[in-house]
Amino acid sequence: MLEIRHYSKSYGEGKKAVDDISLTVESGDIYGFIGHNGAGKSTTIRAVVGVLDFTEGEILIDGHSVRDEEMECKRITAYIPDNPDLYENLTGIQYLNFIADVFDIGVTEREADIKRYADLFEITDSLGDLISSYSHGMKQKVAIISALIHHPKLLVLDEPFVGLDPKATFTLKEIMHEMCAQGTAIFFSTHVLDVAEKLCNKVAIIKHGRIIASGTMKELTEGHSLEETFLEADHEG
Amino acid sequence: MKASIILLKTLLLSTSQHNIYKHSTDKKRRRRVIGNYIGMGCLYLMLIGYSIAMCIGYGESGLIEAAPVMCAIVISALAFLFTFFKTNGYLFNFKEYDMLMSLPFESRTVAGCKFMYMYMKSLPWYLSISLAMMIGYGIYAHPSPVVYPAWIFLSFVLPVIPMLLASFLGFLIARVSSGFRKNNIIQTVLTMAFIILCFSLRYIIEDVIRDDKVENTLQSISEATENAGRMYLPVGWFAGAVRGPVVSDILLLTGVSLLLFVIVFRIVGNSYRSINSALKSHAAAKKYRMNGQKKRSVISAIAYKEFKRLTGSTTYMTNGAIGVILAALFGIVTLILGFDKIVDTVTQNAPFDHAILQPAIPFIIYFFIGMMATTACSPSLEGKNYWILQSLPIEKTSIYKGKMLFNMYLTVPFMIFGILCMGISAKVPVSELIMDLILGVVLCAFSTAWGCVCGIRHMRLDWENEIEVIKQGAAVSIYLLPNMFAVMGLVVLMVFLGMKMNHILLSGIMILIVAALAAVSYLRALSLARRT
Repeated sequence: MLEIRHYSKSYGEGKKAVDDISLTVESGDIYGFIGHNGAGKSTTIRAVVGVLDFTEGEILIDGHSVRDEEMECKRITAYIPDNPDLYENLTGIQYLNFIADVFDIGVTEREADIKRYADLFEITDSLGDLISSYSHGMKQKVAIISALIHHPKLLVLDEPFVGLDPKATFTLKEIMHEMCAQGTAIFFSTHVLDVAEKLCNKVAIIKHGRIIASGTMKELTEGHSLEETFLEADHEG
Repeated sequence: MKASIILLKTLLLSTSQHNIYKHSTDKKRRRRVIGNYIGMGCLYLMLIGYSIAMCIGYGESGLIEAAPVMCAIVISALAFLFTFFKTNGYLFNFKEYDMLMSLPFESRTVAGCKFMYMYMKSLPWYLSISLAMMIGYGIYAHPSPVVYPAWIFLSFVLPVIPMLLASFLGFLIARVSSGFRKNNIIQTVLTMAFIILCFSLRYIIEDVIRDDKVENTLQSISEATENAGRMYLPVGWFAGAVRGPVVSDILLLTGVSLLLFVIVFRIVGNSYRSINSALKSHAAAKKYRMNGQKKRSVISAIAYKEFKRLTGSTTYMTNGAIGVILAALFGIVTLILGFDKIVDTVTQNAPFDHAILQPAIPFIIYFFIGMMATTACSPSLEGKNYWILQSLPIEKTSIYKGKMLFNMYLTVPFMIFGILCMGISAKVPVSELIMDLILGVVLCAFSTAWGCVCGIRHMRLDWENEIEVIKQGAAVSIYLLPNMFAVMGLVVLMVFLGMKMNHILLSGIMILIVAALAAVSYLRALSLARRT
């Protein structure tokens, strides 16, 4: 579903933020992307979702090139950024309707999905309030709902659990499992290694813009905890 | 098309005061919305009044046929300048870029909708001028009834071309800047340079369109406006369309506007993502060495923070520092060309003794310096980061003293430089020059403190885009408008009183008055600060 081939991203003076990354996320995978702050996780994720321009390498979503077939890729992808910058002066429901309009979702379908997810995240009562009055966690919940209502084939999340309460974290994990079972590919970055260990079937560790270890969770950890594996790989890398 | 409508509708709704009023449960916020409506209503009335008065002037002078040209010139100039100032904040570097670009919108749709949003938000201002002038024109020229629908329709079209030109220039500057590591500085310098060029060209163009051989003032105005119509074609098309009305001119103005829109956003769309990627992404240098740290007092630390905030944003820098840079440039130009030459250029060689302008020198420089006080917008610019200052163990008054200190650091050197240049060029005696310098510093203090009063009183932290509080905020408008009108009045008053009384005595009186106003504003600012 997602194929990153030799992707590199340079900033001024030839400095590489990401250097020759290749990975594949299949349908039904929950792929964790872990690394230090500034390792290149968000730079990779932003290129995958078509926000960041890049010149080296190729990124394919369901066989479509992110660079050349931008719209085909975006129509089947949902992105939840680490710090959701939503329109603060819209109400939660106005924002969700905007996203539903963009993806051309019918009224009955959108009402059912918004209600289902808003109830799961316990935010239904607040949907009529301005987003500016929401806490960080509530904004994150609205961003998550907006990503789920159009049933993406690829779900990309950047630090999705930051700011979520324990109940919402559990709900999101359940939804991720459910989507994965339905064939959605999930690619997400996180610092929470425990969560990654329990949730992901595949993982990649990135350091200074290069992947230093990747594979299935079983292959990578070889009986150790993900934390131990990460620290060891980090030390060697 | 459908995607564009959905996005445009949402962009407008997301900044709609009505939407905030309707859905906010915060009474204070709802009251602020009503206050904004009232404030905006007053500004619209002032603009309409000014436009009608201009038409009456033309009508009474028998020059009413020049009114459509003047209307088109005023709207085109305002649309160009205001768009150019706003382009960086609206088209590029905006907060929700990641969210929008991850949705299935093409780059040119996002850029085009951002432009249309800018157009829709500023359209009421241009309509106020145009429709008021249409009424004035109707009263004096008694045109055929078909002129009115043509005028109304073209009022919507007229700002499009200058706005597109300004946006395209902003795009070119962003394009060039994005190729550099320090793109923010390059973008600021290029934007500033272009604004200064515009201000300088104004006089050059005016010299061209006002033929010196024309002796009669009224005839000169009439010919100048007609020449402007020939030089900038959309002005000529507008005038032709509403005077006739000439269908070909209506079609030309509309067709060219549409065509230009399509061309500009096809070009912008092609490199929109790469420009924004370059402007928004910064790799960590990882070269930092921990040395050379400095300890500062609380107020100096806040002043330094304000300096970094100003220089860190192209939008803030081009709006916040343009006044001081223009003041310095004006001083240098005066020194090079001579005081008399500058006065001749500005007053169109009006025959009078230039020495009578000497007492007004501090106010002339203040006209530039007072264009903007950083204290008027910096409280709002704290935005969501306001908690940082609020949670620190410092007095609220210290925060605003720091902000005021920074504005004084920013304005006083330029004020002194400008006054010195003008004073030396105008051969002002040393004793009078010293009084002018003191008056200049006191004016800076007033501007700083009055700006701070407006800034705290109308603080708005929930902005989406910093341009909303830098360029369009209630605090800045309330600071700026009375200040500018008062300065223009004071220049005239100083010239008038300077002919009747001693320059030093007059400056002394003004120093006392302005110092008293500055002191009152300062105390008011501190009192408001304690209540924030």
